[in-house]
Order: sequence, then C-alpha cells, then structure tokens
Amino acid sequence: MTDQITPTKTIDERGKICPYPDVDTMTTLKKMKKGEILEVLVDYPLSVERIPRSAQKSGHKVLKVQQLDGPNHSILIEALGLK
Amino acid sequence: MTAILSGLLVGVLFGFALQRGRFCMNSAFRDIILAREFTLFKALSVAILVEMIGFSIMAMTGVINLAPKPLMWGANIVGGLVFGMGMVLAGGCASGITYRAGEGMVGAMVAISGFGLAGLMSASGVLKPIADFLQKNTKVMTADNKALTLANVFGLDLKITMLVLAILIIVIWAVLALRNKSAEQSFGEKPKSLGEAIFKKGWNWLPTGIVIGLIGMLAFLLSAAAGRNYPLGITGGWTNIWQSLIKWQTVVESQVKISALNWEGAEIIGIVLGALAAALIAGEFAIRAPEPKVILQTFLGGLLMGFGAVLSTGCNIGHILSGVPQLSIGSIVGGISIIAGCWIMAYFLFIRPMNA
Repeated sequence: MTDQITPTKTIDERGKICPYPDVDTMTTLKKMKKGEILEVLVDYPLSVERIPRSAQKSGHKVLKVQQLDGPNHSILIEALGLK
Repeated sequence: MTAILSGLLVGVLFGFALQRGRFCMNSAFRDIILAREFTLFKALSVAILVEMIGFSIMAMTGVINLAPKPLMWGANIVGGLVFGMGMVLAGGCASGITYRAGEGMVGAMVAISGFGLAGLMSASGVLKPIADFLQKNTKVMTADNKALTLANVFGLDLKITMLVLAILIIVIWAVLALRNKSAEQSFGEKPKSLGEAIFKKGWNWLPTGIVIGLIGMLAFLLSAAAGRNYPLGITGGWTNIWQSLIKWQTVVESQVKISALNWEGAEIIGIVLGALAAALIAGEFAIRAPEPKVILQTFLGGLLMGFGAVLSTGCNIGHILSGVPQLSIGSIVGGISIIAGCWIMAYFLFIRPMNA
C-alpha cells in the first residue's frame, strides 16, 4: 500500500459507547472544509460499518476503512465542506 | 438440568447472531431519527415476520401454545417510556448490553449491573409495590379472561391472523422494495469465502433478521419443552441470575427445584458466551471502557431499564421480538412506548446538541 493519505484531523473514538463515535464523526465532518481529511479511530463494530454508510449518505467521500489491530479500525473520510 | 442446557444452547446461538448482526434495538430505533438509517430496523422487522409465520405454524401443529402477554396499559406505557429512555443512556437495549458485555465493553457490563439491580428491586424488592400498583390497576383482559391480541379484539383466530398478516406484510414489502431498488454499498474488503462472511464480517440485515427469527422459534420450542412456554427474553433472565447469586438460599428453600437458575437465566449466560466466541473469532474482542462520566451514565441507564422492563412486564426482547409477533396488544403498547422513550432521550442527548 503506497497510497499514504495524511489526515487533516484525527478523532479517537475508541472505547466510546454507541452512538458517540457516529455522532462525533458527523459533527466533526460538518465543521471541516471541503477536501480536508478526517481520520476516525474506532473499535465499536457497529460504528465501523455504520460510519462509512452515513458519511457517504451525507455526501462525504469515504477514502479507506482499515483494520489496525483487534477491533481497532481507522476510517478516512474526505469532507464535503458544507460550511 | 436439560432446561439449563437447552437455555444455554439457545443463548449461545442468539449471542453469536446478535454480535455478528450488530443487532441492537436501541440503534435500530434511534438511527431512524438520528441518521435516517433503517438497516437494523429492517433486520428487526424480518425477524418478527419470520417469527409470526414460525410461531403460527408451530402453534397450528400443536408443538407450542401461543402465550401473548396481557395488556396492562399503565404499566406498559410508563415502563416502556422509562426503559426506552434508559437504553439510550446505557448505550444499548437489553439484548444489546448483554451481547456487548461479551465483546469486552465495560460500559455494557456496568449497564447490566444497573439493569439487574433495578430489575430485582422492582420484581421482588422495594420498587415492587409501584410495579404491582400500576400493573393491577390498568390490566384489561377479554371477557373470557384472555390476553388481548390484535386477533381476538376483532373476533379472529390468533394463529391464522398471525400467518395472514405476516404474508401480507411480506408481499407489500417485496413490491415496495422492487419498485425502488437502491443498491446497497459496502465498504472495505469483500469476504473471500463463506466462512469468512459468517465468522469474520458483520452480517447484512436480511440474514441477520432471518437467523434471529429462527432462533426465536427454537427458543419457543425448547423453552416450552422446559416448561416456560415463551420465546426469547432478557429481563427475566438477568433478574433470575441476580436472584440466584444473591438469594440462593431463599430461592432453593422456597422452590422445589434442584437448581435456582432457570431456562431464561441460562439463556443469558449463553448470550454472553456466544457473543464472546463470535467476537474472539472475528478479532473484535477487547476490554475497553469509556470515560468515567459515561460509565456513570450507563449505570443510570441500566437502572432505568431494569425498573422500566419489570414494570412494563417486558423489555425490547420480551415485548418487541417475542410479544409483537404474537400480536399481544400489551406488547405492542409496550413496544411503541419503548420506541417513544428512545426517541425522547435521543433528542435531548444527541439531536438537540448536534444542531445547536
């Protein structure tokens, strides 16, 4: 994998209960400018699957979903830039 | 002993499916207003439809007797609302916090402690008079003292109504789904084999719903054989476990049973073990905890859930997954109240702050 993407911002949602990872991701994305990249670190299985779905639905671009170790995942999302 | 083993078996299967399907009703209901997401709600609907058909056929062939819960509207409404608000604070419904304990989530374990404690306080402790008062004074039965169902209020046969209604809903759903086909997108790598799809990846809503519906049928069959005669349940199981642990001596003395642990209690132990196995196989197990403030929040949520579920005579599983397919009006009222409570709390906790 050579496609190294540098995130503009990283939020650590590991250990958080449902649905804080999703809510935090969506509110952070809302505040970001167009083209900025958000990295979400998350270990909650449902959110790993649901965050890409809802980000896509809101018009943001999901770049990558990667498993790190165990339940930990990194999700890279390019913000649509609503503000 | 066979009752314990059969409860354990059903629990392990249920826990495995819950973990793989990420099946949580708190998320199912909350996501409708929070994210316009219907994935889990569709899984739940499929499970209920499978059960409606399955329970109906099993009752027609005489292997089970349908056991809809009676309507106690005051208790169903107040208990449902309290339970629904509690599950948003706890970060999961009754089955959700149970299976997540198996995933190693400390927040869920704390929520369970509150749930069991308040459940026991309401079933046989200091809160029992409140539950009794509301249940006794708002109970409405049919003229021949049977539980009200969507069938008998119209003078219809329950088994046939369940079957016909389920087929009708499936046909309407299929027609609607064919009309507006929207491709579902998946992210990440595609599973390479069936084994990987089952054991490593999260399940889609359709298989999740079907599997949970089938487990609900098996639960009814086996628990009826063990003398319990009701499908899946959670609340009774947790209170049973707490009761067995704390009041072992009194329970043993007051009951002529070899063991104080019952079918539903064994089912709960099975759910935790099944979810643990599923999470371990998928590499999704890890002991993890939220910040202290959230831990307190999940405990308070658990307390509300325990009180609400016992007052309402059922949690999201007892009422929605097991009672709604049997068209019990009490379960339908309880279920709608749970959804209403969930939405009220989700509005104040998430939606309002998000739009502020």
